Amino acid sequence: MAKPTTIRIPEDLLNEIDQFVQESNLDRSAYLREVLRKGFSLDKEDRLLLKYVRKELGQMEVCQELKWDPWQFLAHLKARNLYLNVELEDWLDAAELPS
Amino acid sequence: MSQMVVDSSTLILLAKCGLLQTVCDLFDVVVPKAVNIEVASEDLVKNYPDAALISDLTSKGAIKVQSIVSSERLKPPLSLHKGEEDALLLAVKLGRLLLATDDGKAIKAARFFKVPFIITPKIVVELFRLQKISFKKARESLEKLAKIGRYSPEIIADALVSLMEEKDGKTNNHKDTGRLIE
Repeated sequence: MAKPTTIRIPEDLLNEIDQFVQESNLDRSAYLREVLRKGFSLDKEDRLLLKYVRKELGQMEVCQELKWDPWQFLAHLKARNLYLNVELEDWLDAAELPS
Repeated sequence: MSQMVVDSSTLILLAKCGLLQTVCDLFDVVVPKAVNIEVASEDLVKNYPDAALISDLTSKGAIKVQSIVSSERLKPPLSLHKGEEDALLLAVKLGRLLLATDDGKAIKAARFFKVPFIITPKIVVELFRLQKISFKKARESLEKLAKIGRYSPEIIADALVSLMEEKDGKTNNHKDTGRLIE
């Protein structure tokens, strides 16, 4: 069930939203809920991936938080033009394979 | 056969660059149960051919799955996901065995516990150095690690240089003995 909450929005942004909602013949509350849901999802992904890049989170921790399976992880990095959080120093320090 | 503990990130990359079977043929690959579930659960096997390959190698015994007893837990300086923590613990438990991981945070923890680690581009170059794969296969694998594996261009460039140096070294050695490679 939806719960009410109060936020302060800059007047110019609110005017822009109201105008868009009117022109598009949308329900204002439903539209704001949808925008909040989409925005939250994207922002959460961005912030968790930033933590991954900084090595504050591991690959599997990100997958768990975002409910991604590990086989999708690389595609998500690609979509954001990000790379694995392995550094040149790690490559240089990596051990050799036993012969 | 030498043992190596492998975590989810490396299992995925080895499968994607077509070297998982080769590594399993050459090494005793050990994974914790949590890692096996992370990459090759029933649902994943249905959706991803590479997950099915891991499941197949596991059922054939080419990948050995080991459980971790909860009393054996490590206290890493940073929180890790269960699979990564178990892989690290397994490597420590088995006598600071080589840990294959492509996760920066897991590498940090491996450094803390003085566990030797290896990343997939290094595995590729090493397999060529040990003459287990051809130069062509090694180069193709590194290219896949760049494109699909999202490895940073600087690491891939350095790995390609190492690969070329290995090739040149081999060619020179073989010239000395009157043999040719590839």
